[in-house]
Amino acid sequence: MASSLFSYFVVAMILLSIGLVGVFSRKNIFVIYMSIELMLSAINLIFVTLSNYYHSMSAQIIAMMVIAIAAAEAALFLSLIVVLYRRKKTLDSDMYKALAQKETL
Amino acid sequence: MDIIFLLLSFFAILGAVCMVLSHQPVHSALSLILTIIALAGLFALLSASFLFMVQIIVYAGAIITLFIFIIMFLNVKEANLPKEPNKNMTLFFGIIGLLPLNYLILKALYMMPSKQLVLAHDGFGDIKNLGMELFEKWLLPFELISILLLVALIGAVVYGRKEEV
Repeated sequence: MASSLFSYFVVAMILLSIGLVGVFSRKNIFVIYMSIELMLSAINLIFVTLSNYYHSMSAQIIAMMVIAIAAAEAALFLSLIVVLYRRKKTLDSDMYKALAQKETL
Repeated sequence: MDIIFLLLSFFAILGAVCMVLSHQPVHSALSLILTIIALAGLFALLSASFLFMVQIIVYAGAIITLFIFIIMFLNVKEANLPKEPNKNMTLFFGIIGLLPLNYLILKALYMMPSKQLVLAHDGFGDIKNLGMELFEKWLLPFELISILLLVALIGAVVYGRKEEV
């Protein structure tokens, strides 16, 4: 009984909520990025569940493309973190406000 | 099958919670690997055997490993981590704020048809089916993804250069 459409969607919903909470309540920029990855994975789970439900391969293709986009995002985000860390010597996302206030430059 | 599903979803949620709660980035990354592998097991339960391998090889093997590599490359000390003195309070308020949304989603989910999802035995989700679908119907998005990866590669190289200040 546990492996129905409903239970898979509940698992995806819980993972998505945990990722969302992680994005807006943590300050460590690594954890923020990992929460984004977690949300992408939850969406992937929904796609694969629907692929099994409708017996169609298209949803699995979309899930694979989401993985490819996550890889591209990982490369860019990590190099961005390296640049930011070289400049500010901290991982606190509150410190990266060069676009907000001029005097903190 | 039910007990496997329950175990895998338990490990996925446990890894996610540990990822959000832990202070050190390395612990977060290791917890995220637990979540990713449990999700790969769920993909296998849904008879997506090729995506199961892609998830383990690309996600756990490449993305998270790149992540741990960057964490170790930066060599972050305890003093460079954000303090976050009221982390638990913001987490608590975040959960409270998300409860109405989750209630709405659950209400919508109860109206869905309850059909048992079973393993397909006709080769659904293996590499041949996925390749045929990918190169017959999804050829243009596939090529666009390759351009996107190239752009990301060039962007990463540009970011990673030494800055002349």
